[in-house]
Amino acid sequence: MTVVELKGLSKRYGKTIAADGMDLRVEEGEYICILGPTGAGKTTALKMIAGLIDPDSGKILFDGKDYTRVEPEAREAALLSQVYSLFPHLDVNGNVIYGPRIRGWEFQQAQDIVDNMLEMVHLNRRKDALPRELSGGMQQRTALARALASGSKVILLDEPLRALDARLRIELRREIRSLVKALGITAIHVTHDQEEAMVIADRVAVMRYGKVVQVGTPKEVFDTPVSPFVANFVGQSNFFKGRLVSNGDYTVVENDMGINVKARPCQLPVGSEVIVAIKVGNTQLRTEEGFFLGRVERILYEGVTIHIDVMANGKLFSAKLPNRKYEEFSPGDEVVVGWSPDEATVFPMPEQGLEEELRLE
Amino acid sequence: MPMSLTKRIDDLSSRRDIRSGWFGIITLFFLAFIILPTVYVLIFGIMDFQNLSNMVLDDPEVMSLVWGAVFTSFSLALIVTIIDLIVGIPMAWIMVRKQFRGKKLLDTLIDMPLAFPTAALGFSIGIFWGLPVEAPVPPGALGIVASPYILIMLLHIIFTYPYMVRSLSAILEQIDQSYEEAGMTLGASRMTAARTITLPLFRAGLITGFILCFARSLSETGGTFIALITVGQADKFFTGPTLIAALKNDLVLGTTDVEAVLAVVSIILIITAIIFLLIIKFVLGRVGVPFDKVWPRWERVLSRGAVPKAKDVVSFVWLFAIVIIPSFFIFAYLLVPSPADMDWSGLLDALAYSFMVAGVVTLADIVLGVPLALYIARHKDKKLAQAVDSLVNIPLIVPTTALGFSLALFWTTQGLVTNLTFLVIMAHIAFTYPLVVRNVAGAVMEVDPSYEEAARTLGAKPFATFRTVLFPIVRSAVLAGAILAFTRSLGETGATVAVSPDANTVPVYIIGLMNTGDYYLAAVSAMVLIMVSFVFMFGLRYVIRREGGTY
Repeated sequence: MTVVELKGLSKRYGKTIAADGMDLRVEEGEYICILGPTGAGKTTALKMIAGLIDPDSGKILFDGKDYTRVEPEAREAALLSQVYSLFPHLDVNGNVIYGPRIRGWEFQQAQDIVDNMLEMVHLNRRKDALPRELSGGMQQRTALARALASGSKVILLDEPLRALDARLRIELRREIRSLVKALGITAIHVTHDQEEAMVIADRVAVMRYGKVVQVGTPKEVFDTPVSPFVANFVGQSNFFKGRLVSNGDYTVVENDMGINVKARPCQLPVGSEVIVAIKVGNTQLRTEEGFFLGRVERILYEGVTIHIDVMANGKLFSAKLPNRKYEEFSPGDEVVVGWSPDEATVFPMPEQGLEEELRLE
Repeated sequence: MPMSLTKRIDDLSSRRDIRSGWFGIITLFFLAFIILPTVYVLIFGIMDFQNLSNMVLDDPEVMSLVWGAVFTSFSLALIVTIIDLIVGIPMAWIMVRKQFRGKKLLDTLIDMPLAFPTAALGFSIGIFWGLPVEAPVPPGALGIVASPYILIMLLHIIFTYPYMVRSLSAILEQIDQSYEEAGMTLGASRMTAARTITLPLFRAGLITGFILCFARSLSETGGTFIALITVGQADKFFTGPTLIAALKNDLVLGTTDVEAVLAVVSIILIITAIIFLLIIKFVLGRVGVPFDKVWPRWERVLSRGAVPKAKDVVSFVWLFAIVIIPSFFIFAYLLVPSPADMDWSGLLDALAYSFMVAGVVTLADIVLGVPLALYIARHKDKKLAQAVDSLVNIPLIVPTTALGFSLALFWTTQGLVTNLTFLVIMAHIAFTYPLVVRNVAGAVMEVDPSYEEAARTLGAKPFATFRTVLFPIVRSAVLAGAILAFTRSLGETGATVAVSPDANTVPVYIIGLMNTGDYYLAAVSAMVLIMVSFVFMFGLRYVIRREGGTY
């Protein structure tokens, strides 16, 4: 219902930079996830959109209108915080009807909306319960119903599933998405959990050091990361350094042991220092026909998948394989690490070095 | 329906300029009408230094009187606080670490002195321990303390005791017992563990308790003055505050310029109080206590058998013999036959006046104190809010007589107002305002701001957010602050007397009765005042209990 645009948004607290020229455009009715490590400035960004924090510079536009200095209550952008913030003195019904009541809607109309909403989150039987009498999942659903019933055109979700256990998280993220989509509301959801972001969002905005570093569909962000950081943060990757030998249908890179490997084509000049990244899930272990010869260090049985660490050329490579392969490997086995060239991405050498580029805080 | 008032305020609160303006006005009110009048006498002293110097500072006789009184105040405060500390630590331990039947009752008893207006307390102590000159003595009085110094010490120990026990137990409650248990499993005896592990952790509680007791003892007027009147020493023995009261009641220095002496005493009291408390805060916060040393054998002996029991018994005996029984002794007047011609009208007038003053004061405290508390609690990152936060404590540590004198000086020398009731109300607001602000600010700081943020994003304007979300959550703290302010105003003597001895509040009325030798009526008035305060104090406990159970 509303297009939200952030233009060059900046905010600092003393020496800490929470937002550093942040740009983002969220389309009407789109569900976008802002994904980033702790301290990337995700919550600050959300609170600036809500109007709870004033940016130092930059603009926030709602449907093209400048909303930068508009008071929170006039933005129609409801915030759902990670602690839910259900009003302790009001019951479930009182909490959910808070928005309609405070906006002065006619009573019956407000109650109908609330009833409808409570039905959608399966809480119509717990209308009279106080927040502290509810389980974590119910509190979460009450907070969601409260945000959705307020008639807001934008919903801002700040790590809404953080406090819940894993199983409930999976169930609720599906519920949140379908509810928001059914109402056609524009949603901005902040999380540090890449799996959550991938399954819930139409598009993912990866954030770091107060900047959006990449925006795209989950597939785009996963398959074609723009930097080693994104490659590693959205689905773990194996990295190694090398020198670009040739460009063509595929790129050839020579690693520091003098071994030539193939990767997806890129625009970088021949002879430049590069980083090659291969997703852990795309890393293959074979008996022949690979690039690096290595030795299995350890094998972890993770359930559906197995995780194998291989030492090759003095570097550790990880691979995730289906669990049926569990019997095929044991520690000490010699294996060849390989990948299909179009699943390996080549990046220019980051100025501050690879370690720094991959740091999470 | 026309736009309602709340709706109108809601709309106004949505504008940034109006919000800043409103907080500006509140801060300005606080600075101009509370802080400035409280310390105005300092400015007056600087401007009028020549005159003060001629009239007072160069008069060795007057100055020796002044310095003697100030010295008495400080030495008393120090001794009283140290005694409180010694008897307070075991009592706090009992309250926090032990479970027994009747603990609730004990809890109430410890707070009892807070419910006593000090004026009534002073009377009770004077007749119980002291040697009254004219007052009829009810049966059971001990009459063994001839020294006014020791008498006042016994009085101050009573009303400072709860502050010490409360501050210590508040911190002790925060310290997990598992530390001590860990120490004991590592081989420490109970006493060694408590001394080397828990005691260092509650330095903060020691400092708070120390400052509260010290400031309270330093500033107390009414009880001290009345106790001294009872034993006929009010014109011979002085603490800083009672010297002001005596001067105001024309008991001393008939010929000298009383105003100038008052100014000098007030200035010295305010400055020394502030300096001394800063020193205490600084020294206690840094001084090293030899916690590392252990004497395993001795401490093991002291941890077992009769010693801990004796310590507990002494704590209880102290509570009853020194604190509770002397406080309640005034009710022994019920056993004394009443004179035939009792005139109740004076008491009723005084009661009505006291209630009026306390009511107006409490209302003003709430209306003007809650916004300031919100400002302090929700703008912790702002320099101005931090400064205001520290300034709020000033009226609490300035002796109330000095405060009253300074405030009256502020309003009258400017020729602004001379209305007595107005001055009394302003003085009472000055020393009760911090109670409300502290209470409410403390409660608001405990509330996660995300409640208010959620309400704002759901469409609530700032004032609507306060009305519908924050206020319901902190309501008990506001009410508790109000009751504290009301009770404190009802029982206050020093500030009222310093403004004018003609202000007809109940404590001042009692002093008047005693000065004219009408002891029986004074006792009855004191009992009535005690009963009224009790009602409010129990109300307060009820409110706080309920708060504890709600969220």
